Amino acid sequence: MKHTLLILSLLVSTSLAQDTSLHDYLVEGEPWKEAAGGFTFTDGLCCDKEGNLFFTDVKAGKGIYMLDVATGKTDLFLDNLPGISGLQIGPDGRFYACHNKEQRIIAITMKGEVEVLLTGVKCNDLVVSKTGNLYFTETPTLSVHLITKDKKHVVADAGKVQKPNGITISPDERTLVVSEHGGKHVWAWRIEDDGTLTGGEPFMTMWLPVGKETASGDGATTEANGRFFVTTELGVQIFDPAGRLAGIITKPTPESKVVSVEFAGKDHDVLYIAAGDKIFGRKVKVKGYF
Amino acid sequence: MLFRFLVRFRLMKFPARVSLSLFLALAPVTFAAPQDDQYVLGPDSQVQKGVPQGKVTQMPAWTNSKIYPGTTRDWWVYVPAQYKPEQPANVMVFCDGGGFVKADGQFRVPVVFDNLIAKGEMPVTIGLFINPGVFPTSNPKDKPRSNRSFEYDSLGDLHARFLIEEILPEVAKNHKLTDDPEGRGICGNSSGGICAFTVAWERPDAFRRVISHIGSFTNIRGGHVYPALVRKTDKKPLKVFLQDGKNDLDNQFGNWPLANQDMAAALKFAGYDYQFVLGEGTHNGKHGGALLPDTLRWLWKK
Repeated sequence: MKHTLLILSLLVSTSLAQDTSLHDYLVEGEPWKEAAGGFTFTDGLCCDKEGNLFFTDVKAGKGIYMLDVATGKTDLFLDNLPGISGLQIGPDGRFYACHNKEQRIIAITMKGEVEVLLTGVKCNDLVVSKTGNLYFTETPTLSVHLITKDKKHVVADAGKVQKPNGITISPDERTLVVSEHGGKHVWAWRIEDDGTLTGGEPFMTMWLPVGKETASGDGATTEANGRFFVTTELGVQIFDPAGRLAGIITKPTPESKVVSVEFAGKDHDVLYIAAGDKIFGRKVKVKGYF
Repeated sequence: MLFRFLVRFRLMKFPARVSLSLFLALAPVTFAAPQDDQYVLGPDSQVQKGVPQGKVTQMPAWTNSKIYPGTTRDWWVYVPAQYKPEQPANVMVFCDGGGFVKADGQFRVPVVFDNLIAKGEMPVTIGLFINPGVFPTSNPKDKPRSNRSFEYDSLGDLHARFLIEEILPEVAKNHKLTDDPEGRGICGNSSGGICAFTVAWERPDAFRRVISHIGSFTNIRGGHVYPALVRKTDKKPLKVFLQDGKNDLDNQFGNWPLANQDMAAALKFAGYDYQFVLGEGTHNGKHGGALLPDTLRWLWKK
């Protein structure tokens, strides 16, 4: 019996190393379902510990909206903050936001008190590490920026990534990942102890729509086992920790423009996407990292 | 017959019926399964009395790669006892080199080289055993991100350039290596197998002899296109050995036995000097390791 357990443990570890097919973690009979609607251009998906989903309506909305995990209802959560394109709750419990409309990076308490961290940047999307380092993409200048936990601003990478857009971090917080909106790669860097980035390379390659030269990579998030989920013109493309394209989750409709992705729900096992005027969600067999 | 198959059937040994059924139900794609047990190492893979032994040296970790910035990797150099500094030696690169160089591994390349070189069955060849890069962090407890798939599964000339521009010149500082591409080979397993093919495909001016075991000619990063490319590209001066097993992987990237059969058919169609051995094994090096002495005899034959 001891031997059986040994074999079993070997099997489990080796099959994880080999990673799994997309078909193993989608749920039969659980397609995309509309979770919220009536918006113009939803974006900036993020979640809190309880599994509530927050998002913005970047082109027309009033502020930050919340999809309540308990009731399934959506309401305006914080008013008077129009034009946020990237959003995440940091280790201090505040929102951190790319306030694209105001060209600034801000922190916002749950009551709506705003602290301005940086101005004069055409910020698009961001991720905040557990240590409090904030990384954001500036798509038009082809730059990835870092605001350290001591609020120092550093241009962490410039000129290499074709229209950097979506951004996320590995579960060990040692790898930063950025999608190309104007290319076909998802880049990865090592995160040094001081938060700076080294060893950047086009670690992942997105599948291209037929006849196109760019995948239109957009918002990205991280799954608990270290897979990266990246929205693209074709749908949500999934990469395993080795950087291999493991699957593509098709969009809710061919016309959908999917720009942001996040896991939320009580067990963080509902995959949500921002697709224009609507938010869609579907239950999956894997969980989010955030 | 070019290949003397080393087939020795062994009785399967399992402690209990329950574990056997569990093993058969779950194991086929993960590690050595019963169908792999028929492949065992022959005498050419064992240290033989009186055969001069070459020297394996672990090199300082390669940390200053310009092709793969930020990576570090372990690597080893094998120099045969018959090597003479005034005579340029052949070169053979092993992807995932740490496994191939191991004295008790599935391949034991230094032992096989010792035996074959001593018998004059392959030329005096320096072996370069190179691991894929990793991105270590300041914390030794962190598991470094592996760059293996990026380096091995990607198409293009990046890895060939890494070997030609970085590794070979470093080795040439202390060893006389041949410049003749006919004297340069490269070998790998799985993603290392497609990598070996890609290096020679991209740079036949530098590498012409290829060994791929359980090669990943599947769509991990686009490598499934090779059969089509081989058929439509003018023939390159390569000599290619492919091995796979009927029970190799079938997953989201593709089906390994089908992909290798497709590669072999394409090489045949385009008139390549190639060998394809399709055994019964799963995704590991046992069959390739058992064949290696014969493979090398064939590969290096003029």
